[in-house]
Amino acid sequence: MSESTQTPTSSRDVGMILQESEDNRPIIEAIEEDNPECSISHTPGLVRITAPGRLVVLQESVEEKLGREWETHEFQMSIVSYFGNIQEWDDDEIVIAWDH
Amino acid sequence: MQYELKTQVIEPQRSTFTHLVNRYGDKPASRYLEGSVGVQPREHFHYRPTYDPGKELYDETYSVFRLSDPYSFLDPRQYYYAPYVTSRSTHHEAFATSLQYIEDRGLLERLPQEWKDLLGELVLPLRHLESAGQLILCGMARFGYGSTVTQAAAFSGFDRVGNAQILSRLGIALAGGTADLLAEAKTHWLEDEPLQGLRRLAEYTIVEKDWGIALLHLDAVDQLLYDLLYRHLDDEAVTGGAPAYSLFAQHMSSWFADNRKWIDALHKAWRADEELGATNAGLIAQHGELAMDQALEAVTPFAARVDELLAVGAVDRVTARAAEVRQTYAADQA
Repeated sequence: MSESTQTPTSSRDVGMILQESEDNRPIIEAIEEDNPECSISHTPGLVRITAPGRLVVLQESVEEKLGREWETHEFQMSIVSYFGNIQEWDDDEIVIAWDH
Repeated sequence: MQYELKTQVIEPQRSTFTHLVNRYGDKPASRYLEGSVGVQPREHFHYRPTYDPGKELYDETYSVFRLSDPYSFLDPRQYYYAPYVTSRSTHHEAFATSLQYIEDRGLLERLPQEWKDLLGELVLPLRHLESAGQLILCGMARFGYGSTVTQAAAFSGFDRVGNAQILSRLGIALAGGTADLLAEAKTHWLEDEPLQGLRRLAEYTIVEKDWGIALLHLDAVDQLLYDLLYRHLDDEAVTGGAPAYSLFAQHMSSWFADNRKWIDALHKAWRADEELGATNAGLIAQHGELAMDQALEAVTPFAARVDELLAVGAVDRVTARAAEVRQTYAADQA
């Protein structure tokens, strides 16, 4: 968890846009729980999640919500767009932040 | 002429059913939750059952294991009809593919004789044990309380039919497309000494009235048998020149791992219950201990016969496994 507890140096908003679907809802719920500072807005068919400085997607939480094994590269299927830089895209977490 | 395109958002009148909004907040609920939570009938039962007039048709007291909120248990796999059927269809197609490969390569004919004996004498008769498992889980689906619990039990009951079918197909392939070995397997099940403990236990568990205790008994036997036959022997098959056995065993052990998920979650829910958690933990310890004693007693002669055929340390394996599982029944497990 060393990465996840690290405070971002830039607090400029980062965000991601996901497709809103039955399959993605558990993923969105997991992101919502893991990023207490995030805000979520719904547009038809899309969900926009923004947070100051940093967003993290944890494999463990997504798997728990989905009730099956989930590999982080499957996130490609859910994500439409993002703003910020992809800082990590590992087996266990995806981190979006501005600073590398 | 300038046109400006705008999206007009039409908010849905409601996100989901009221009882789910009350429980999880006003947001869309998953298909699993919509189809599974709060379906249990709770009132307007006209008659009490003639076989048990002290209870209602659907009653929480059919088992000593109770949840103050039956829906604190959710199937972690989130199976409702469609995903369950899809998942099992994939599972059985994968087995069919393996079986096709086994038959194409003539791997069954090339099995060493002791492995053929193991399959015919000990593994195929377990079709009947699977059938007992189906009855036990059907009973749980009928008498359990809370639709999430009974749904998981019903699916698991159907799984047992599927497992029996996998064993049957293997038996038919092994007998060159005839049912001869299956008929022999039934005779083994009814008459062979190493199987009588299992048969006795299966029959006693079928008539156990308390579905929670029946589930513990069935699970204790599963824990020992599946570990021995489809993990331990799978390892032996890989090194012992029995690839056909290994190809078949993987499907049984992957099913077992999937089935564990809901049973483990149910135990967790029993223990985590705010009002009844301590009571349930005590009951799991008490009945689990007894279930494991009886399971080990029934499985040991079976394992001894496996050792006579293959000398793979089967008895030691089930004894060790029983000790491991006992740990998980202990009352202080969180």
